[in-house]
Amino acid sequence: MIQVQNVIRNYKAGETVVKALKGVSLDIGDGEFLSIAGPSGSGKTTLLNLIGCIDALDGGEITIEGQPVSGMDKKTKTEFRRNNLGFIFQTYNLIPVLSAYENVSFVLSILNIPEKEIEERTMRILKEVGLEGMEHRRPDRLSGGQQQRIAIARALVKNPKIVLADEPTANLDSKTGEEILKLMKEMNRKYHTTFIFSTHDSMVMDYAARLVLLHDGQIVSDERR
Amino acid sequence: MKFLVVLACKNLTRYKRRTIITAVTIAIGLMLFILIDSILIGVDRESVRNLKWYETSSVRIMATGYWEDRLMLPLDVSIDDPYAKVQLLREHGYDATPRIMFAADLILYSEDFGEDGNLPVQVTAVDTTLDNTVFRFEDTLLEGRFAESGKNELVIGSWMAEDLQAKVGYWVTLVTRGNGGFFEAMDMQIVGIVNCPNPNVNRSLLMVPIDTVADYLAMENLATEIDIALPESADTDVEAQAITRLMAESGKGTTVMTWKDLAGDYLAMMQAERGGSSTMLFLVFLIAAVGISNTMLMVINERTRELGMMRALGMDDRSIHWLFMLEAGGIGLLGSSIGVALGMLANIYIVQEGLDFGFFMREMDMAYRVQSIFRGAWSLRSILTTFFSGIFLSMLVAWIPTRRAIRMDIPSCLRHQ
Repeated sequence: MIQVQNVIRNYKAGETVVKALKGVSLDIGDGEFLSIAGPSGSGKTTLLNLIGCIDALDGGEITIEGQPVSGMDKKTKTEFRRNNLGFIFQTYNLIPVLSAYENVSFVLSILNIPEKEIEERTMRILKEVGLEGMEHRRPDRLSGGQQQRIAIARALVKNPKIVLADEPTANLDSKTGEEILKLMKEMNRKYHTTFIFSTHDSMVMDYAARLVLLHDGQIVSDERR
Repeated sequence: MKFLVVLACKNLTRYKRRTIITAVTIAIGLMLFILIDSILIGVDRESVRNLKWYETSSVRIMATGYWEDRLMLPLDVSIDDPYAKVQLLREHGYDATPRIMFAADLILYSEDFGEDGNLPVQVTAVDTTLDNTVFRFEDTLLEGRFAESGKNELVIGSWMAEDLQAKVGYWVTLVTRGNGGFFEAMDMQIVGIVNCPNPNVNRSLLMVPIDTVADYLAMENLATEIDIALPESADTDVEAQAITRLMAESGKGTTVMTWKDLAGDYLAMMQAERGGSSTMLFLVFLIAAVGISNTMLMVINERTRELGMMRALGMDDRSIHWLFMLEAGGIGLLGSSIGVALGMLANIYIVQEGLDFGFFMREMDMAYRVQSIFRGAWSLRSILTTFFSGIFLSMLVAWIPTRRAIRMDIPSCLRHQ
């Protein structure tokens, strides 16, 4: 499903060039529950951003569903993300003025889905992530765990092929983090959605069905469990 | 689009204080615009009316060549048989009156004025019966009465009377050259003082009976001009063409000019003053634009991560542009609504009571033909333009900061603190 081939990504930090990824290659299949782990600065987020088509490659190629990412222009990448990818962020990135319902449903609005279907799908996913009855609450009236549940619902509501989660439990306590991971795993099982998440937390790594360890921009181990 | 509108509306309540401050800035700008524009329109309309009613009339007939030498006030370039022409005009439905304009030295005597003196003046000789059918001096008498036909009587403008300390009953002498160049002196008694809404007239008017001066100046059956009044609704240019044809039928040697030709200097000055006012109004708008631009910059800076999230989830650049433009438009709508409402409320006072600039107008000539009270005027077009401009400009100035944010790559947006 996803082929990462010899991917290189460099960043400029003033005069120096930081080599974030030094020729990373990886194959990810349908419905995998994969964790990219490693210490800070190892290139986890960079790799997620590249797979998520929100960053540009300096070398190599990423192919998703047979489509090479490097050949896509800005508009195509936007459309591709809109139709195929879900994102979960460390800091949830919810829109504070919108209710839980609106934070989830807007993803469907930009897909121009009919209003009735939006309502149906949004209510269903909110129920599945355990937020039934909290649809009208704004994020500031919800706990961190509940906010991350909205983010998961937002990522899944459009039935994407891939969900990318950057340190999804880093802002949560261990108990809530575990609940979120269980939820993600359940969704992965139920919808057969490919989950790729980054972490440097060993508890999170334990949940992964496949663990890819990155160090200094290179894969040091790739373990299936 | 519905989602964008909902989100934009909700975002307006997110930074209430900032939204209100920016909207108030826009509102003040627009309110000032409405008031200044109202005064300019009102003063312009009143000036034009006062020009026509007290100075130029709507259309003027002169002898060919008179306009070129008008500053000399020549008597030898005059209209023959003016009353026949006036009669012809009246038969065709035009109110018309003949006048003789001439230059003179006004001699003042110490017996009346306290000391002897003289000053150059322009004198208007009017038909005491017909003049009021074209001009509107009838209700402007401040003191005394109007000059009577055939008598050596003179009516003077109020400001001139004040400057000369002239009173009804005082005698003066007008020394001038008659038609043909001979010197003539006419003793005249001031019988009335007029105070009309046109400051230029109050400053310089000396009005005498036409039949009295015709004798003195050898201007019998001659006039330097025939003035014609047209209804407010009339198309001056069309009527002027009709009058030109009428005059051509009655003989050669006349030129027909509209008040716009006669008051060309005034119109040019008005245009210059309008230009100055427009610059001021532009600055008012600029301040409002800077205000909203600054607000949008802050909003976008604070929401860069949110922007990154929306872009990552597949919202396209156009939708994001629209989102921020709708927000700016919302602030513009709020500011425009408040500004227009306040502007209209304040304009009620400006239209009904006006602002008294009498102290100003008395001392200096501003070209406006308004004596003291500057009244505003309602202009629906102007108010609507102001309202929609407020919204449109607000949306426009949001474009640049949004564009800058969209140019930032998504990972940088998501990392933004």
